[in-house]
Amino acid sequence: MNTIEKLKKILVTDLNLEELTPEEIDDNAPLFGEGLGLDSLDAVELVVLVQKYFGIEIKDMEEGRTAFQSVSALAAYIDARLAAA
Amino acid sequence: MKITILGIGVAGGFGTGVKEMHDALLSGQGNHSTILLENCGEPLALPAFRADTSRLKDFVPQKALRRIDNFSKLGLLGAYLALEDAGLLADGCHDQLGVVIATGYGATGTTFAFIDSFINDGDICASPTHFANSVHNSAAANISMLLGATGPCSTISQFHHSVPSALQTASLWLTEGRADRVLFGAVEELSELIGYAWYRQRGYPVHAGMKPLMTGMESALIGEGAAFMLLSRRDEEREGYCQLEQVTTGKGLAPGFLDCADDLLLLGADGRQEIGAAYATVAEHPRIACFTGLYSSSSAGPAFDLAAAALMLKNDQTYPDPSGGTCDFQATVATGGEIIRTSRISSLSLSEDNGFGLVTLKRV
Amino acid sequence: MTFSPVAITGLGCICAAGNSLDDCMRSIFSGARNPAPPLRFSSNHPIRYPVFEIPDFAEPSGMLRTSALGLHAAREALADAGLEREFLDTLRVGVCMGTTVGCAMSNETFCREYRSGNLPDMTLMETILRSNPASVIAREFGFYGPCQTIVNACSSGTDAIGLAASWIRSGVCDIALAGGADELGRITYLGFISLLISDENPCRPFDINRKGLNLGEAGAVLVLESEKVRSIRRKKARSFMLGYGSACDAYHLTAPRPDGAGLKSAITEALACNVINPSSIAFVNAHGTGTPENDKVETRVLAEMLPGVPFLSTKGYTGHTLGAAGAIEAVFTAACLELGRIPASAGFVTPDPELGGTPVTEITSFDGTIALSGSLAFGGNNSVIILGKAGES
Repeated sequence: MNTIEKLKKILVTDLNLEELTPEEIDDNAPLFGEGLGLDSLDAVELVVLVQKYFGIEIKDMEEGRTAFQSVSALAAYIDARLAAA
Repeated sequence: MKITILGIGVAGGFGTGVKEMHDALLSGQGNHSTILLENCGEPLALPAFRADTSRLKDFVPQKALRRIDNFSKLGLLGAYLALEDAGLLADGCHDQLGVVIATGYGATGTTFAFIDSFINDGDICASPTHFANSVHNSAAANISMLLGATGPCSTISQFHHSVPSALQTASLWLTEGRADRVLFGAVEELSELIGYAWYRQRGYPVHAGMKPLMTGMESALIGEGAAFMLLSRRDEEREGYCQLEQVTTGKGLAPGFLDCADDLLLLGADGRQEIGAAYATVAEHPRIACFTGLYSSSSAGPAFDLAAAALMLKNDQTYPDPSGGTCDFQATVATGGEIIRTSRISSLSLSEDNGFGLVTLKRV
Repeated sequence: MTFSPVAITGLGCICAAGNSLDDCMRSIFSGARNPAPPLRFSSNHPIRYPVFEIPDFAEPSGMLRTSALGLHAAREALADAGLEREFLDTLRVGVCMGTTVGCAMSNETFCREYRSGNLPDMTLMETILRSNPASVIAREFGFYGPCQTIVNACSSGTDAIGLAASWIRSGVCDIALAGGADELGRITYLGFISLLISDENPCRPFDINRKGLNLGEAGAVLVLESEKVRSIRRKKARSFMLGYGSACDAYHLTAPRPDGAGLKSAITEALACNVINPSSIAFVNAHGTGTPENDKVETRVLAEMLPGVPFLSTKGYTGHTLGAAGAIEAVFTAACLELGRIPASAGFVTPDPELGGTPVTEITSFDGTIALSGSLAFGGNNSVIILGKAGES
C-alpha cells in the first residue's frame, strides 16, 4: 500500500469519515473547509496520526499548513521526511 | 413565577422517548441487559441498564455526529426528544435557550480512551479529539452547538446530587430572567472502567432485579441514560406537564423538612443500601412510589423520577412498583392503576454524607 | 432586570505566584514568574513544556490535590472574612466551586492496572469520589447549605462566582464560598500539548510571538455574604459583585467564535445587571491565555465594547489554571481594585497588528472603582463578572 492509500484509510477510520470510502477521496481535494470538510480539531488529530502511523513529528501548525493542503501534498511531505530520515 | 415543564426527552433501559417510558411504567417490567468487563480475569457480564442512541439519526445528520462520543450522543438524544415532545423542534430558533446538564461521572468512555491513547502509543500520541470530548461539559457544548443555543450553558457534577443541584441552577436562571427557556438534562454514560469500579465497590448483584423499597439490603444496578426536560417561564398559554414547585439541596434532614401537604407522593429509593435507612425514615409519612427498577440506581435516577412524576401528574394515574411493592418499613406504597389523589410529587436524592436534594413538581 | 450588588467579604488564593493572596500580589507586582518543566510528574514527550507548579504544597493522603488547593484557599478566605466556626454554624452556608479535573474519574494508574488485567482496587477511585471540590469544603467546615461543583471547563471559576451571587440574592443561603480549584497533572498537560496550544517557552499573552498557554495549578475562593449577615456583624465588604453574564458561542468544541458574539453577549449581560456604563470600567482582567485564537478574538471584542480600557492577563504569572482561572482572576481583580493599580501583563513584548490592542506593559494606576474579569472556555462558554470597589461606608 503506498502512502496515499494508507493515508486515505487512516482518514476514513481515525477521523470517522464514515460516509466516505477511501477510494472516494480525491487526491488533490483540500482537506479542510470545502473539500473533505475537516476543521482545526481534525488538523491537530492529523498531526498525532502522522506521528502514530509514520513516526513523523509535525512540530506546529505552520509546518502542518503546507503539508495538510491535500492527501497528495501530505503523502509527498511524509515520503520526503521518510527519505530524509 | 411559574416554571412549566413543556417537554420531556428520555432514553434509558426502558427504551427511547416518553411513550416507551410510559409503556414501561404501565407494565412495571424492568429490562436490564449487561456491560462486558473484559479484564476481570474471566470476562464478566455485569447486569446493567443500557440506552440506545440510534434514534439520534432522526434528528442529526450522520456527518454532524462524526466526532461525537456516546456521552454526548445520549445528551443530544435527550435534548432533541424533549424539544420534539414540547412541539418546539421545528421552531429552529434556539437563541437565548439556556442549557443545564447534570452528570455525576461525565464522558468516562472518552476519558479513558484519552488515557489509552498515550498508554498505547506514547505521550506524543495523546489524542486531542478524545481530550476535547472528555471534558465534563462536552455534552452541553455539543447540544448548544447543534441546536444553536446561545444562552447560558452550564454543567454541574455533584455525584448523586447532580440532578437537584443542576435543577436549582436552571430554576435560578429562569427566576432571574437569564433565560426564558432552559433545556435541563441528566446524562450518565456506562463505560467499562466505570462498570468495573461499580463491580469492585458493590460486587455482583445478588438479586435479579432491583428491590429499592427493601431499604435494609443492597439491590442497586448500574445504568446509563439521559433524562431531559424543557423548562419555561413564559409560554403561559401552554399547559405542559406540570410545574416546578421547589428545589432544595443541602445537608441534614431536619424533622418535618418534607411538606406532605395534599397527600404528597414521594419517589427516590434507588436500591443503594447506604442510603436505605435515611430514606425509610423520611418515607414513613408520605405515600411513596418507586420506579428506579426501570432505569437503575445511576445519579441520573432523580431526573427519570421527575419524568415519571410529570407523567403521573399529566395522566392523573399511578404506576405499579416494578419490584412488586415489597417494602421493609412502615409506608403506604401507591399501587398501579389508581388516580393519583394529589397534585404534588417529590423526588428525594440522598447521599451517605447526610446530603439531600428534594425536587417537588405540582399539577398545573 | 437589574440585580442588587452582593458583598465580597473574604478572599483567598494559592497558585505558583504564592500560597496566599498577599504573597501572590507581592510576587506579581514584582514581576516575578518562574515557569519550568513539571517536577511532580514525568513524560516521555520529547519536548518539556514549562508549567506553573506550586512548589511547596502537599495534599493530605486520600484527597485530590485539586480539592486540597480549594480547601487551602477557603481557609484563607474565611479567616480574611473574620468568620469563626461558631458563628458559621448558625448560618446557612453554601459552597460553589469550579473545576475541570476535580471530579473526573480520570486516573491513569487505575486505567493502566485495569488494562493489564491487574484488577486494581478502589483506593484511587474512592479518593476521587471523596474529593468533589465543593463537598470537601462543605464537609471540612460542616456547612449544610447548597453545594455545587461547576464543570464548564475554563470558565468554571467565573460561573461558580456568578451562581453563588444568585444564591445570596435569592436567599438560598446566607453566605457562599465560591471559587475554583485545579491541579496540574499528566492528563491536562498531555491534552493541551496534543491540541498544539502549549508554548515551549514562558507564555506570551497578546504578543505577536505567542504560541499558546502554560498550564498552572491553583485554588481560589471568595466569601460572598448577604446584607443581613453583614449588618449583624457590621462587616465591611472588600468588594461587590456587580454583574455576571454568560453566553455560549454554539460554534466549536475547542475554538472561540471568530466574531466573539458569545463574549459580547456575556459582557452586555454583565453590564446590564447594574446598568454599568462601559466607560466606567477601570480595567479588564482578561482571559488572555496566550493561544493565537483566544487572544485575537478577545482583544477585538474588548476594543469594540470597552475601547481604551486598560487590560492585562495575569496568566503570565500563574499559568492557565483551568477551572480555577476565573476564580483566581476574580480574587486578583478585587485586590487590584483595592490597590488602585494593576501589574504589567507578563510575557507581552511585541504588539500584534492582528489584535484589537495591547495590554498594559508596566504597573498602571487607575482612578475608577469598577473592573471586569472574563473567561472563555472549551465548549464555547463565555463568562464575565464585574466587581466594584467597596466604598468607605
